[in-house]
Amino acid sequence: MSKISRREFVETTGAGLVVATSVPLAAQEAPAAVAAAPRTSIKLTVNGTEHRAEVEDRWTLVEVLRDHLGLTGTKIGCDRGECGACTVLLDGKPVYSCSQLAVWADGRAVQTVEGLAPNEHLHPLQEAFIEHDGPQCGYCTSGQLMSAKALLDHNPHPTADEVRHALTGNICRCSNYNRYVESVLAASASNTLGRTA
Amino acid sequence: MIALKTVGHPAARVDALQRVTGKATYTGDLHLPGMLYARVLRSPHPHARIRSIDLSKALALPGVKAVLTHENCDIIWGSGDTKNKRYLFNNPVRFAGDAVAAVAAIDRHVAEDAIRLIDVDYETLPFVLDPEEALKPGAVEIQPGGNLSPNNKGEQKPEAYGHGNIEKGLSDADQVFEDHYSSAHINNAQLEIRVSIAQWEGEKLTVYASTQGISMCRIEIAHDLKIPLENVRVVCKYMGGGFGNKNQVHDFDLMAAMLAKKAGAPVKLEFTRKEDYVAVHGRWPTKQYYKVGVKRDGTLTAIQFRGYSGMGPYRKSSGDIAGVEMYQCPNVEKLVYTVLTNKAVSANFRGPAYPQGVFGIESLMDHIAYELKMDPVDFRVKNMTRKYHDELPYTSFGLEDCVLRGAEAFGWKKLWHAPGAGDGPVKRGVGMAMGAFGAAVGRSSAVIHMDSKGDYELHVGVTDVGTAAKTTMALIAAEELGVPLAKVAVVSGDTEVCPYSVGESGSRTTTHTGYAVVQAVKDLKQQIADKGMPEGDEIRTGSATPDPAQPKDSARYSFAAHFAEVEVDTELGHVRVVKFLAAHDSGRIINPLTCASQVKGGSTQGIGMALHEELLYDPTHGVALNAGYYGARVMTHLDTPEIDVLFVETEDQYGPFGAKSIGESSIIPSVGAIGNAIFNATGKRIKDLPITREKLLEVLA
Repeated sequence: MSKISRREFVETTGAGLVVATSVPLAAQEAPAAVAAAPRTSIKLTVNGTEHRAEVEDRWTLVEVLRDHLGLTGTKIGCDRGECGACTVLLDGKPVYSCSQLAVWADGRAVQTVEGLAPNEHLHPLQEAFIEHDGPQCGYCTSGQLMSAKALLDHNPHPTADEVRHALTGNICRCSNYNRYVESVLAASASNTLGRTA
Repeated sequence: MIALKTVGHPAARVDALQRVTGKATYTGDLHLPGMLYARVLRSPHPHARIRSIDLSKALALPGVKAVLTHENCDIIWGSGDTKNKRYLFNNPVRFAGDAVAAVAAIDRHVAEDAIRLIDVDYETLPFVLDPEEALKPGAVEIQPGGNLSPNNKGEQKPEAYGHGNIEKGLSDADQVFEDHYSSAHINNAQLEIRVSIAQWEGEKLTVYASTQGISMCRIEIAHDLKIPLENVRVVCKYMGGGFGNKNQVHDFDLMAAMLAKKAGAPVKLEFTRKEDYVAVHGRWPTKQYYKVGVKRDGTLTAIQFRGYSGMGPYRKSSGDIAGVEMYQCPNVEKLVYTVLTNKAVSANFRGPAYPQGVFGIESLMDHIAYELKMDPVDFRVKNMTRKYHDELPYTSFGLEDCVLRGAEAFGWKKLWHAPGAGDGPVKRGVGMAMGAFGAAVGRSSAVIHMDSKGDYELHVGVTDVGTAAKTTMALIAAEELGVPLAKVAVVSGDTEVCPYSVGESGSRTTTHTGYAVVQAVKDLKQQIADKGMPEGDEIRTGSATPDPAQPKDSARYSFAAHFAEVEVDTELGHVRVVKFLAAHDSGRIINPLTCASQVKGGSTQGIGMALHEELLYDPTHGVALNAGYYGARVMTHLDTPEIDVLFVETEDQYGPFGAKSIGESSIIPSVGAIGNAIFNATGKRIKDLPITREKLLEVLA
């Protein structure tokens, strides 16, 4: 069984380039082995808040969100671009944050599930997901929500088939697909759409 | 059936808000101060003896805090094998993916670097992947004593069941049908990757696990690590699915605990998705051989069945192949060989023994109906058993209604036609299949507190694996109390504050723990009757550990019938499911909203099992080729049809308010219904799961 590590992944994608000097992120010790990994200073906006961070070049975006910014609403289901549990919006576009290096997000804006309900005010999609029983185990839910948000942002009244196409990169092993489609259509039909960010 | 006030009405999950805002805390979301990260090194060989392990380079890597191998860790993982000793690290290794070493380091990247610096010298051994090959003389012996895993009596013989006289039954028949079917190893593939966090505080161990049963997990950790039960706490607040492969304690929970002990710091052990596929377990693959005798009028005279289940090298679960018992037949013989192989381990996956066995028997019965020129629905109604094993009455029986009312709602009579009819190239066809799953009542516990404001706090040892168990428990309590759902808060998922409850496996949570909730509320009412309502800072507490049983001479089951319409592109081999109806008798439905979600999900998983999923092996090297979602082609939004759900509610006097089981019965008939619909569309029957495009094109050519 061959294993490809993140380091190899980073090396083969040619992303491990810059060694930076700014302060390491909180909660991260910096012993020898870690200090040896190349680091880069980046600036990214997450849910409207600007963060400056020194990241290891091999860190993925989801790793920075979860382990270093404490935004654990975004999940890791495969860490290899297959399941969509880690879907976030990068400059408004849905991406698998496990397949994005953190350094690639430099200067860009990220929205996660935590940014869907500023001031505890639920997004219509979240209200519909509750009412129509979108989540079973709930582990894929954040990803489904973010893909649905991206869809409704540019197509506020999709057909069921358009919903399926937009969300098909988000696997739900509980297979509650009917409920997710139902939820997105219900949110799209609600006149509250556009009320929140 | 008398309508109830709270139970039976659709209710959103009590924790839905947490689930849609990212606030639900799953095990992997936790971070403890000073926590280390761990990774596991796994065997690249399907069978090999480890000559030596050189850890020097790994240990020299800065940031590495602890390494475990078979040389310094001899913990036996009790539930990892019910017949032989299975260590956390085994030598020899018996499948590609067997754990060789575990490393804890200051972060996951260092742990990953370290496992690649471990040098292992393997002496490769012969291996066998196929269960029938593994039984042949001269096959390599995977465990001491041979590859046929012992039956329930401890004899090295197949599991046997039967009644009547099979030879007489076959000779009484006007026609004997003989056929064989097979099913593949598929992975449970729950979205949440394995993760376990272990923390020692002196002698006390806390394991933040991803488990389907905190109580059993705790008991097994104490047993395997030989520490007192009261020193173990298991926490699982939110859980990202399991479908049967998070039932017991797992080796990684124990590894995390041992690494944490060795390193003197909390340890988070994480799997990769690929490890989750090859190193945990999936549904056991089967080979099934049938001989069925029938009279000209369709009456069954004999069912003879011989099956082989490939369990991988360790025997975790039964390996049974079920389904023939759904039919009324005076002469039955069933033999199941549970066989060790050098593939990934096989064990429980939703309805463990059923979907694959039901695919076999329901395909064959469909074929017999066709040969006898009978409508498959009529054939089922004529031959379904109305008694468990043709002997014991059921406490309630809704199978016939599932078939008849399901057929009517589906429009069966209009849609069913002669197999292969239609001009093509895109042909439509319909199929149906039946299913049954146990709904026995049994022992569990619940505790409920009431304060002077009239608020209730219900403590149950459940982990909500996605079934809405917390909500179900709250609904049951609210109904029995006669208060609104919002008055009941549920405390679950932590052995420190919850009583023992049965694990969320075997579709037992509602029937077992739900019944305990009813009894705890009754006890609370008695307390109030005796002592009066709580005043000021008083609380009243009710508790119960009932161990109910239905009468010994009866059986308690849930039933289902699924109906599918497919469209087969006979030029491309592509199958699209266009219509699907699932009819279920699960007694009284506690929450129609979340219960229907489970049925939709189980049915859809069954479609994936029928059409897509299989863990493929390289026969030369004995290594899995397509581990992961992409390779396994699990169902996606685009594959999934609208699943219509019809509840056929039967009156049943056992269980909470007459509720039976649902979680597992929802996947059972689905696979066979799809296979039969493809036969109806094309006139061709694929007997080996999954029914891939390649196999279809071969028979349609």
